[in-house]
Amino acid sequence: MNRIEEHPILPIPDDRHQVKFLFNGKEYFGFEGEPVSSALIANDIKEFAIHKREDVSQGLFCANGQCSHCTLIIDGYPLKSCVTPLQDGMDIRTLIHLPDLPPDDHPLEHFEKREYKCDILVIGAGPSGLTATIELAKMGFHVILVDDKDVLGGKLVLQTHKFFGSIKDCYAGTRGIDIATILDNEVYSMANVRIFKNATIAGIFKDQKAGVFLKNNCYALIGFDGLIVSSGAREKSLIFNGNDLPGVYGAGAFQTLVNRDLVKSSKKVFILGSGNVGLIAAYHALQAGIEVLGICDILDKVSGYKVHADKIKRMGVPIYLRHTVISASGNGKIEKMTIAEVDDNFQPLLETAKTFNTDTLLIAVGLSPVDEFYKLAKKFGFKVIKAGDASEIAEASSAMFGGRIAGLEMANLLGKKVKIKASLRQKAEILKSKPGEIFQPSPVVLDENYQPVIKCDEEIPCNPCTSVCPVNAIKLKNNRGNILDIPEYLGGCTGCTICVAICPGLAITLAKRINAHHAEVIIPYEYIPKFAIGDKVPVSDQNGNYLEDAEVQKIRFNKKFHTYLITVKSSLKNGAKITGIIIQKKEKTRPLPQASFEYLPDNGVVCRCEMVRVKEIVEYIEEHKIRDVNQLKQIRVGMGSCGGKTCSTLLPQVFKKAGVEWKDVTEGTKRPLCVEIPMYAIINEESE
Amino acid sequence: MKNYDITIIGAGSIGTPLAFYLGRSGLKVAVIEKHSSVGQGQNKSAIGGVRATHSDPAKILIGQKTINILNRMEEEFGFQVDWMTGGYLFPVFNNYTERALKKLLELQKHFDLQIDWIGPDDVEKLAPGISRKKLLGGTYSPEDGSASPLKVIDAFYQLARYKGVDFYFNEEVQSFQIQNKKITQIQTTKNKYSSGLVINAAGAGAAAIGKLAGLDFPVYPESHEGGITEPVQQFFKPMIVDIRQDNFSANYYFYQNFEGQVVFCITPQPNIPGVDIDCTSDFLPLVTKRMLTLYPRLRNLRIRRTWRGLYPMTPDGFPIVGYTKEITNLMNLIGMCGQGFMLGPGLGEIIAEYIETKNDKYDSIFKQLSLYRDFSGSEKLK
Repeated sequence: MNRIEEHPILPIPDDRHQVKFLFNGKEYFGFEGEPVSSALIANDIKEFAIHKREDVSQGLFCANGQCSHCTLIIDGYPLKSCVTPLQDGMDIRTLIHLPDLPPDDHPLEHFEKREYKCDILVIGAGPSGLTATIELAKMGFHVILVDDKDVLGGKLVLQTHKFFGSIKDCYAGTRGIDIATILDNEVYSMANVRIFKNATIAGIFKDQKAGVFLKNNCYALIGFDGLIVSSGAREKSLIFNGNDLPGVYGAGAFQTLVNRDLVKSSKKVFILGSGNVGLIAAYHALQAGIEVLGICDILDKVSGYKVHADKIKRMGVPIYLRHTVISASGNGKIEKMTIAEVDDNFQPLLETAKTFNTDTLLIAVGLSPVDEFYKLAKKFGFKVIKAGDASEIAEASSAMFGGRIAGLEMANLLGKKVKIKASLRQKAEILKSKPGEIFQPSPVVLDENYQPVIKCDEEIPCNPCTSVCPVNAIKLKNNRGNILDIPEYLGGCTGCTICVAICPGLAITLAKRINAHHAEVIIPYEYIPKFAIGDKVPVSDQNGNYLEDAEVQKIRFNKKFHTYLITVKSSLKNGAKITGIIIQKKEKTRPLPQASFEYLPDNGVVCRCEMVRVKEIVEYIEEHKIRDVNQLKQIRVGMGSCGGKTCSTLLPQVFKKAGVEWKDVTEGTKRPLCVEIPMYAIINEESE
Repeated sequence: MKNYDITIIGAGSIGTPLAFYLGRSGLKVAVIEKHSSVGQGQNKSAIGGVRATHSDPAKILIGQKTINILNRMEEEFGFQVDWMTGGYLFPVFNNYTERALKKLLELQKHFDLQIDWIGPDDVEKLAPGISRKKLLGGTYSPEDGSASPLKVIDAFYQLARYKGVDFYFNEEVQSFQIQNKKITQIQTTKNKYSSGLVINAAGAGAAAIGKLAGLDFPVYPESHEGGITEPVQQFFKPMIVDIRQDNFSANYYFYQNFEGQVVFCITPQPNIPGVDIDCTSDFLPLVTKRMLTLYPRLRNLRIRRTWRGLYPMTPDGFPIVGYTKEITNLMNLIGMCGQGFMLGPGLGEIIAEYIETKNDKYDSIFKQLSLYRDFSGSEKLK
């Protein structure tokens, strides 16, 4: 079974109850209550359905109940497996084309209309939704907080890495999962907050009510005076041949499988996109014991934080810049993928193609705000504020700030005069900052005393190293005068190692000279050490270049920051250069000796629900001179279960391909529901 | 100034098929549409039902034409428009309605319509799993059916363009110049047109066009809401129309379309006048309760999308078709009362034939649907 049995950060529960189930008549085992999709993937089953068009295979895609790619026949009913909990004895079958509706003909006996009221409805309990709720509840407002997951925290609960930012303002140095716990405890303790978990907002209606789909079998209307939209972001997609294969999905779905359900969903992954999401997905994969073949980005620079990228490179993951994916292929699921370098016009140079054997391709090519509810509420003239990624894509640290500000602004909208400090807005702005300049590090000379060697040379909003040092030996340079500035060591280190343990970028080591030839280096390590004292481990410089095999002297574990501190003995010349321990060998990440692929860029799928390929859409636009997205419904684009969530971000490039400027195109009309709801749930037939 | 034989205002369910039939007659035709493509008014809100089994001669005749056209659509023009003859089923639960519908059958049969009374067993055969509670039977008309409004209008749009019809999108009529009881010039937001004949096919906006000509057309939009589910294998055939009323709604109807999706719509009670098409929170609980009471098997279907559309109503529930007396080159094809999609193709063919041949074949239609009737009657099967 593909289960994560050990993890450096996440606890592996030992109280899970194993149950038996059938898949296409064959017996398998899974854990009771886990999503059916996760149980199947843990059993290496990735092909869930055969689409009615072209008979293509479908598997898990969004892992969030938003699309219907993971639909299976479960005990006779067509159900979305990613939101269906596994039960003992379930009979699960592949869905082939359209399902039969079960003849469930007993008369309707119970129905009810459920309604709730509140001062403020907060959609999404991620970092910004939670902090907005806390601010509003503190002021005495009655808040209903709705989230579609079974635990609060949004994407925080999937983040096993330490956060950037400042300790005082946004829990810098604390892992996302732990920040989620802190905020959850706070909202749960507030009497005037009502929390609906497993609850998806399906629509915002003209009569100032929201429709919410609760726990997959109920439906309620929530009336509100004010609305905060903190519904986060959705992942953008990419068009290439084979992008519809099971095993090709977003980094978010991957993190859900790995970090929430503890399923070792893959053996080898390749990641498209070098933003923070892609970089962190690589880090999560490695922590879960999954090999990362590489990360590629079409741009010539890593788009995430440099410290993140450096960290990933040190672990032994190659980052291919100016590269894009040109093909994925496999029988019923992805088995092989090919990347190639691009020219100045982003066109692939096929002679540079590199093919990898892989079972998972993660798409992490950016996020777009989920702001439909905001736009609609605005149109209806409601009191509405958006916060977090729904407002602007940025780090969770800034989302927490944005949420607080949104809460205060909402209070003002509802007539409560509260002052919003200018400093609050300034800090929020700084935390949103994109990475700034990269500086040349100054050379470090080691002496007999420990000193921090800081490999943090790009301006990012982060300063915990300066806050935790008991002797204030680390300060930010005063270039900008804010936390974007680069840290520097001023002398006086006591060797306490807290800066090493807290640094979210794992970019600080402590090093000293121990004799004329040797140095001792303390390295932060966020994996389960597979070595013992006395062993030699391969160490690398800041950028992942192999330096030497260094001898392990000491293995310590910092409980507070959940980080291993590995002391190694190295040559003196490398002492200041050593930054990390390589955990993935070069041989593992090499492409196949011979590239093999079919370059069919027009074959990529745009509308996944209805399986419409880019070629078909481009031809239709050209032939019928289409200038209105609504007309693409003729060929079923956007008519599927997801409601255009994936394809709508791709359409500008599709129109461009057909020679039409996006500004000349009328956008598609958006209608509720934004998640499918069974009819029995709408009238609460099954609730007591 | 652009010159045309005929200018149609509105590229919707009525204007678009008409444009094709007129274009086919060799006339120089323009269609002016305020939206950015065809069918973006109420056509896209139509659920797709097409029937000839109405309660009055004019609509029966037009409906028969439409069905005839849709039957030939693929063979004659090469367009697959999801046309299926699943029939219309009006289940009946009380003696009063049974008597009324049976009486109507006489008229309908007089027009050679295939429609008959069927017993509860036959009702259940057509809709397996339907509730038998109080079910007395119903009328069933197997030749009626459904098609995709989207595909039908697109087919006519393509056919019209092929016949040389010019479509002007994102363009709204602003004023008319009128001389000697004739429109001599149409001013839009972008162009000026002169046209031998002007046809008002502006759907929910028909009265506003009348105002520009200084005339009052009794067309008042009201809104209905509709929805669509996920697709499943075909499990029932007909359009089911339940004409009972409850405290919040009048009739509702639903069918399973070519894709396998169940499409449904309800008539609110009291009516909601106006042009607001934003969805309300009341609709889904209301319609779902009624549908599941009648047809419990639908309970596991997932609802995918809902929308609200307009019925351009007239005081008596019948369309207004024909020339105006006050302006001799202005013709109305308006007030379709929510049946524009099913009347459009047939009406288009009839009007084009009438304009081309000037024959008196269709005088009874013009008489019945005249703007100058007294509007005191009432449509029985709205």
